[in-house]
Amino acid sequence: MATFLQQVINGLSIGSVYALMAVGYSLVYSIMNFSNFAHGGVIMIGAYLGFFAMTLIELPFIIAFALAAVGAAMVAVVLERVAYRPLRNRNAPFLYFIISAMGASIFLENIVIATIGPNFRTYPRVFSATPYTIGSISIGRLDLTMFWVSAFSLAVLIFIIEKTKTGMAIRATAYSGRASVLMGVNTDRIIFIVFGLGGLLAGIAGVLFGMKYTVYPQIGFITMKSFIAAVFGGLGSLPGAVIGSVLLGTIETLTAGYISSQYRDLISFVLLILILIFRPRGLMGKVTEDKA
Amino acid sequence: MDWFYVKGILILSGINLLAVLGLSLLTGFTGLFSFGHAGFMAIGAYVTASMSIKFGLPFIPSLMIGAMGAALVSLFIGRWTLNLKGDYFCIATLGFGEAIRLILDNVQYFGGARGWPGIPLYTNLTNVLILNIIGVVILVNLIRSRHGRNMKAIREEELASQIIGINVFKYKMTSLAISAAYAGVAGGLLAHYTGFIQPKMFQLIKSTELTIIVIFGGLGSISGSIIGAIVLTSLPEILRAFAKWRLVIYGMAVIFIMITRPQGLMGGYEITYGNIKKLVSRIFSIFNTKKTLGGDKQ
Amino acid sequence: MNILEIKNVTKKFGGLTAVGNVDFNVEKDSIYGLIGPNGAGKTTIFNLITGIYQVTEGEILFEKQRITKLQPYQIADIGITRTFQNIRLFKKLSTYENILTACHYNSKYTILDAIIRNRKFKVGERKLHSQVNELLEIMGLADRKDVIAGNLPYGLQRRLEIARALALRPKLLLLDEPAAGMNPEETIKLMELIKENRDRFNLTVLVIEHHMDLIMGICDKIAVLNFGRKLAEGNAQEIQTNPVVIEAYLGEEEVTLA
Repeated sequence: MATFLQQVINGLSIGSVYALMAVGYSLVYSIMNFSNFAHGGVIMIGAYLGFFAMTLIELPFIIAFALAAVGAAMVAVVLERVAYRPLRNRNAPFLYFIISAMGASIFLENIVIATIGPNFRTYPRVFSATPYTIGSISIGRLDLTMFWVSAFSLAVLIFIIEKTKTGMAIRATAYSGRASVLMGVNTDRIIFIVFGLGGLLAGIAGVLFGMKYTVYPQIGFITMKSFIAAVFGGLGSLPGAVIGSVLLGTIETLTAGYISSQYRDLISFVLLILILIFRPRGLMGKVTEDKA
Repeated sequence: MDWFYVKGILILSGINLLAVLGLSLLTGFTGLFSFGHAGFMAIGAYVTASMSIKFGLPFIPSLMIGAMGAALVSLFIGRWTLNLKGDYFCIATLGFGEAIRLILDNVQYFGGARGWPGIPLYTNLTNVLILNIIGVVILVNLIRSRHGRNMKAIREEELASQIIGINVFKYKMTSLAISAAYAGVAGGLLAHYTGFIQPKMFQLIKSTELTIIVIFGGLGSISGSIIGAIVLTSLPEILRAFAKWRLVIYGMAVIFIMITRPQGLMGGYEITYGNIKKLVSRIFSIFNTKKTLGGDKQ
Repeated sequence: MNILEIKNVTKKFGGLTAVGNVDFNVEKDSIYGLIGPNGAGKTTIFNLITGIYQVTEGEILFEKQRITKLQPYQIADIGITRTFQNIRLFKKLSTYENILTACHYNSKYTILDAIIRNRKFKVGERKLHSQVNELLEIMGLADRKDVIAGNLPYGLQRRLEIARALALRPKLLLLDEPAAGMNPEETIKLMELIKENRDRFNLTVLVIEHHMDLIMGICDKIAVLNFGRKLAEGNAQEIQTNPVVIEAYLGEEEVTLA
């Protein structure tokens, strides 16, 4: 029982970081209806920015964090300008967006390899390695930080989406892009904000992952997980993305703990396929019916 | 550049081309997008290699069984996912492609993640060339028939296709199975060309590369796919001098194509004898009108 | 004989009843009109007949057979096809290819026949091409056969959609506002064309239209729908003089009846 609880706690901590990435994904999907595969690249940039801020310039942890988040947001926004906006102006089909996103992700990954190099880099230790213990359960200090930083960031995001005027405009655009344009919503501005917010969260997630594991050019591949989580919860739904991420994180740590860590990724992708087959709209996705 | 090097590039282009031809049928002519074709290549590669090594079958029958294996798996996948809407089908194929790779990572019988060395080198320029010619002929004949037209109709307007009596699901299944079979043959050829296969060779990036080639050549154009496969397979090889920058350039080129020439190189047109004749006669007619205009002046 | 029987058909979307307990019969070889204000449920009835929507209650019979559980392509197989209010052509294909595609099952060669280009394929293709040319002549589209469908003028796009439907050799043709966006002269031409084709192909036609001239001019029988229910049914004269209809629909929209 204790090991089970331990695994669940580990799952929650990793799942909360998945959630940070998944909401960025889901936000873009809800507005633009395509899967932004370049999101992983943005996360990777965030991880590197945080790393260099802490090692090269030796900035304090919190400031490095903020720098990584802002930097990643800028990359996300520039990416939107360069790779997606021309397509949007032309009403291109969703596939062109996906391919453009793939191109962007190849570009980001390889420009890092070309300039910084393919090596793995380890973050300097910020938290002491001794975990907190409650009975027989131990919680790593970093894991706990991952959890509360993610939870706090998500809470801020949800506040923005639910309580501010901009948030209302985002929700309106997600509900019906065309109608919200008629109501005077500036879609370009909304998309700018959505990419900015998604980028901020991606930067934070990048730093957290970099600290938990290491930093390397392919770290963006981890977004595949948040993507699965987003489908799990229902593409385009923010609460769905969060719940899906936490569930996925827990399922993964349980698989690793009870079966084998080798099957962890496989289980995730099998889960993705099963969801798509049996419940394609996920746990909380919106139902769409075609009209003739 | 010596002949050996050029030959290598040609064989690789040919292998890619077979997979691209299949994907072209699915994406360019039926309007379905797949990010799982590397998975079908993987099935083709592993089944073909098993047939020729573990069962001692000759090369061509092994390839055919590899193609059938890929097609069968595709039918199974299609049965469950082809009624999903656009983006979701795409994601399902992506998940499938990755799942195949991760399963192979764990099958020790085939060497797991470490790979499977010592596959006999049966693939050569001759058999690649012959298979490609057969592949193109089959595809062209299929597309220029009522069945190919039905697929194009589905690409254009799904609902209207239903209304004129096209069994949309059946045609999507057919298109998927044929395209998977092509990918399967490509995988089998690859296994017997490199002599070594590893699940890592069939990652998502491979599927993406195939889709990029189809789009680069122009959706709905077989000649475009052919040119695309040759150019985009040899380009990274030629750019080897730039080693670490070539994928950076590649990534930028992909975005550049998407935002500047989304219809691709050929934009749905084909290089055929008829079209060339038309083009030539149009050029001549321009000359002729100029002449008559000149004549009027006199 | 009734070729189509709509029996107490109801279609609900969530809590909304789009079509409520409607029934009417269409006699073979007749032209039957469906009229009513926007949102009356006319197009929904077309979608129910062609299998795009499933009925909530009731049944639809075609030549005495229940067709309510069939897929749209199966509906086409048994001889019912339609045009769409918002024109659904294969926009990037030429006029010729649009019709050629729709001819597909007048020739039965298989994929294998096509790949090896055998005699069966060649004979079959020749047959399809001659049918296309015939239809192009009939519908007056022969001089536009190589034009990409999306580039045709609006009126011709509507006409091409009818030609594509006729390529299936249907027994029952459903036309959804075929004269929308046409001027009176074009509407009259279209009227003639529909009548001609009815006689030539032994067609039965069910037509939705707002142009009263067209409806009153060609329909043998007309049903009036309002709020998903059938208000009245009868021939042109009966409809024009029916006080309920005049009050509920025609009077309100101030349509002057010819």
